[in-house]
Amino acid sequence: MAHGRARKNLEDEYSQFDQIDGRHPLQKALPEMVVSYRVRERKGARIAYFNFHLAKEMGLLPADQDEVMTPALEKKLLETFSIIIINEFDEMNGRKFPEKEIKPHRYMATRYLQLQHPNKTGKTSGDGRSVWNGQFKGKGGKVWDLSSCGSGATCLSPATAIQGKFFESGDPSISYGCGYSELDEGFSTAFFSEIMHRNGYSTERALLVLDYGGKIGLTVRVHPNLLRPSHFFAWLKQSDQKALEKLVDQWIFQQVKNKVFVNLPKTKAGQYKLCLDWLTDRFARTSARFEDDYIFCWLDWDGDNILMDGGIIDYGSIRQFGLFHSEYRYDDVERYSTTIVEQKQKAKYLVQTFAQMFDYLKTSQKKNIKEFSNHSSMTKFDEIFEEQKDINLLEKIGFNQKHTELLLTKYRSDVYEFRKVFAYFETAKSSEGLIEVADGVNRNAIFCMRDILRELPQLLLARGVNARLDADEFIEIIRSSYANDDDVKLTPTMKSKITQFQDLYLKLVELVGKTSTVLLTITMRSSVINKYDRVTGDAVTTVVDKVMNARPKLSANDMYDVLREFTEFQNLDPDLIQKRDHNKKSNRERLMKTMVKIVREYREGL
Amino acid sequence: MKLVFHGGGHAEDNKALNLEALRMCKDNDPVITYIPACSIDSEGDFLEFAKSFQDIGVGRFLYFPIDVPFDQTMLMQVLKSNMIHLSGGNTFYFLNTMRKAKLMPRLKEFVRSGGVLTGLSAGGIMMTPDISSAGYPEFDCDVNDEHMKDFRALKLVNFEFFPHYRNSKRYEQELISQSKLIDYPIYAVPDGNGIVVESENTKFIGKCFCFYKGKKIVIGR
Repeated sequence: MAHGRARKNLEDEYSQFDQIDGRHPLQKALPEMVVSYRVRERKGARIAYFNFHLAKEMGLLPADQDEVMTPALEKKLLETFSIIIINEFDEMNGRKFPEKEIKPHRYMATRYLQLQHPNKTGKTSGDGRSVWNGQFKGKGGKVWDLSSCGSGATCLSPATAIQGKFFESGDPSISYGCGYSELDEGFSTAFFSEIMHRNGYSTERALLVLDYGGKIGLTVRVHPNLLRPSHFFAWLKQSDQKALEKLVDQWIFQQVKNKVFVNLPKTKAGQYKLCLDWLTDRFARTSARFEDDYIFCWLDWDGDNILMDGGIIDYGSIRQFGLFHSEYRYDDVERYSTTIVEQKQKAKYLVQTFAQMFDYLKTSQKKNIKEFSNHSSMTKFDEIFEEQKDINLLEKIGFNQKHTELLLTKYRSDVYEFRKVFAYFETAKSSEGLIEVADGVNRNAIFCMRDILRELPQLLLARGVNARLDADEFIEIIRSSYANDDDVKLTPTMKSKITQFQDLYLKLVELVGKTSTVLLTITMRSSVINKYDRVTGDAVTTVVDKVMNARPKLSANDMYDVLREFTEFQNLDPDLIQKRDHNKKSNRERLMKTMVKIVREYREGL
Repeated sequence: MKLVFHGGGHAEDNKALNLEALRMCKDNDPVITYIPACSIDSEGDFLEFAKSFQDIGVGRFLYFPIDVPFDQTMLMQVLKSNMIHLSGGNTFYFLNTMRKAKLMPRLKEFVRSGGVLTGLSAGGIMMTPDISSAGYPEFDCDVNDEHMKDFRALKLVNFEFFPHYRNSKRYEQELISQSKLIDYPIYAVPDGNGIVVESENTKFIGKCFCFYKGKKIVIGR
């Protein structure tokens, strides 16, 4: 470990953390959107994981800081983040807490829509077990929102809304409404979000996971803007134009601060147009990426489970499938979730709601949502979605940016033709039909497209482009463990599709340059993009179980290193490949090998 | 028989040895297969390897990890390559994986049929009679996590190969004592240097060291 710069004053060293004291501009701008709580120190925490890399990126720590947990840093982290709210239950029962343990500022829980709440307008729903730690202004003026999941039961939890009473934080008689979170949830978020971030997704990220013993934890989540569509839709549902306008203004202000919006139009109408265009673009591209990367994110009309930029939040229901299991539905007791392919329509509906929302702000008249079903943003959504699908496929094949741009601008119809035959295999399902799986239902996909995309360019290069794979060979490569012999019977249609697949694939290759040169580029890139070991949701859950078992021996430093290694291992971007130091021996090698084994075991699953 | 043993190092250190391997391929447009000792995170190593051969005119590569299930189509193509490279890594893991994949006889046949087999560090050790040299010296050896007891390897040559050799007292003492235990020489090769075996001829690229029956001899330049 390289030594960081000499430290003279530990107090100064960690002074950036002092910005995080519960205060957030929303509290003043829109007090009706928040329920503010007094907060006290919560004893008995240990640091389970701290994300040094993120802390440096934010500017919480200097870039040259040693990535080692020191007693001074631990103390600062616990002082700043180990908190619990003094909630309604505490107040009503007259509970007294030592003044010195109570933080000087109030922390907020925010109100937003949630479809599982009885009140469908967001009056009683929102952060049920989280409060926001505030806002941090870091490097280059960039601001970051921070919130803590597991910081006590708020009045916005479903339990309070349904049972009409306030709960004690940690009340063992209820689970979800008790205001605590579990340690493994924190690790799942940390693992999954870092992988997603590494692969270019906008996502909440775990800065810190605290361990309170008894599998109870607290997770500090960070993003440049933690507002969700559901924050806005609550005011829209309530037809509160004033509140909605203040929230939109606040959001725009933060977007400008974070340089997401540059050259902001002067007029409100201009600003709203910019916002709607931006949101349309983000949601269309994100839902296309979700679909093509087989990411299951339960989107619905409430705009919960997603951030305003299409970023991922709440990893509880996030999955990454190994194959295109497009008929998987999560069984949430009262209802089944959407499927991966239905996500597009849900994302589009969110954009339609945004169109309604901005129109309301502009005209002061709230029109029926149906009036926006043919809004120009709907057409735009479809166009962008389709374009992104083409980009995704070309990138998955292994074309570089130059190739992709050329194919998109000049040979779009050829790309589309290949997409059709690609989809024929990708969407093929098992003849077994719909089956029950551990937490829902699914009809298994039978072909692994990643395998054929990885091996085909190598084989074509080695054999020469005129010697295509015969149908048996093609099926041997693409067949997943879910396929039975009937599924892969070589019917005349199947044979013709195999020929078509290779012909159209090679046509795209030939269109961008010298075949052998392009195939070589694709071979190299595709070996990383379509690597054998790609993590699935089930794999993350099992990996976290293993980590939890190994936990007594793993310090916060070990956890950070394990997670970094695992994230590196899940990098699918050929442009970000780093040279390995073969002499570096790790004492966590065994754990890493176990985790890889798990990834392999679940690679085709949910 | 056409073999190249790489003492170690990165692609840029091994250009001379790569050119030797390429020369032995006797093909203007050869196909080279890269077999990683362990597939975890090996894609980057494959890219580095392929790039180094691209720089000297090669444009066809197969990437063939053997510790994950592979299909016969790919295996058949691999065995038709002009050259197969066995990468560096943990030798015990590599040998165990190669046995499980039932590749030992296939690779021997590949060499017998005129294919060029090259190996870096662990990959080189795999081509010798056994992999004992991966287990010493104690201060710099591979961990036998696989708990392997049968160290027999491809036995394509009659010498033991010791990669990453550093010409220091403690290495020297260890190798002298190890050389007293076996009937064939141990060739100790620093990073960037190597051995080329072509039919009956053995050529040393860069300075190498031979330990035989308790004696140390400097060979090569």
